[in-house]
Amino acid sequence: MKARKVKHLDPSGTLADNAARLAAVRLDELCDFVPRALDAPAVDDLHAMRIAAKRLRYVLEATAEPCFGAYARHASRHAKALQDVLGDIHDCDVQRPRVARLMAEQREYDAAELRRRAGSGDDLAPDAAAALPGADAWAGLEALDAHLRVRRELLHQHFLELWTGLEREGFRARLEFALKERPTA
Amino acid sequence: MAKAKEIPGLSAGLAFSEAAARSVAVRTDELFGHATDVLDMDEIEGVHAMRVATRRLRAVLELYAPCFDRDELRPVLREVKALAAALGARRDPDVELAALDAFLDVTGEAERPGIERFKARAQAQQLQGNAVLAAELQRIEDIGLHVRLLALAEHVRR
Repeated sequence: MKARKVKHLDPSGTLADNAARLAAVRLDELCDFVPRALDAPAVDDLHAMRIAAKRLRYVLEATAEPCFGAYARHASRHAKALQDVLGDIHDCDVQRPRVARLMAEQREYDAAELRRRAGSGDDLAPDAAAALPGADAWAGLEALDAHLRVRRELLHQHFLELWTGLEREGFRARLEFALKERPTA
Repeated sequence: MAKAKEIPGLSAGLAFSEAAARSVAVRTDELFGHATDVLDMDEIEGVHAMRVATRRLRAVLELYAPCFDRDELRPVLREVKALAAALGARRDPDVELAALDAFLDVTGEAERPGIERFKARAQAQQLQGNAVLAAELQRIEDIGLHVRLLALAEHVRR
């Protein structure tokens, strides 16, 4: 996901004024994923939202303390929490198809072995299916797939709770306000 | 994960260009400070720390982009992104293998062969990722990325 361009950055201006413009754009970028990323199957949106959370986190990490009100530091930690849970969801989304691919390959491998065992016969005897090369792999692969599926469901639920909590505490409005504040000397 | 080093004298009223020079210099040294032992596959936290350092460096390069000469910044930023991608090629299987090991620690005997089979693929990817990273580390040394980044920071002051 390409980051939105930030207009009106001024090299001759102060750090705080420029960083506030940048952080405001990164905050909009993150918040604009809602509501579409709240759908559990929205794999691409969830992944892109993780990148948006990461961008907001790093700009706040670099500037919150010297430049903004205290809430900006909290917001940096919130952005990291979002990035982490969305990252874990993404890991499941990447891993599950790979487990499925290995299972499909295993099936093909076993089928090839059965064809070899059938030789030039007209039919396949039931005992030909005994002790196939992939026979011992199924339990583990099924367990892994089930684990990833349910873990992903739970992580998505956690993400929803996290986001609801942020909305409840006024994350966006409070960060926008903090970006206008300047620390007292 | 290592905490980001403090940028000396960074304050709200500091000139944007001076903040750029200081931030890029510190984040650059931080990044290359993690380069030693990063290819050791028994010690996976080094790769993670260096990857986080690339993100911090990228963040400041993007934040302070208007302060830099565009033609000087773009190729350097591209190289940092390439390094980050190579670190990711190693880090992703590192994370997956750690998770699979945790799974194997508690799983039953019946599940073990299937998980081991999946793990073998992740190990092959880790090896491949390490080779990609080794080549990338050599390449950034050959092109003098460390020096170019420090020069970029210094040129802002002129």
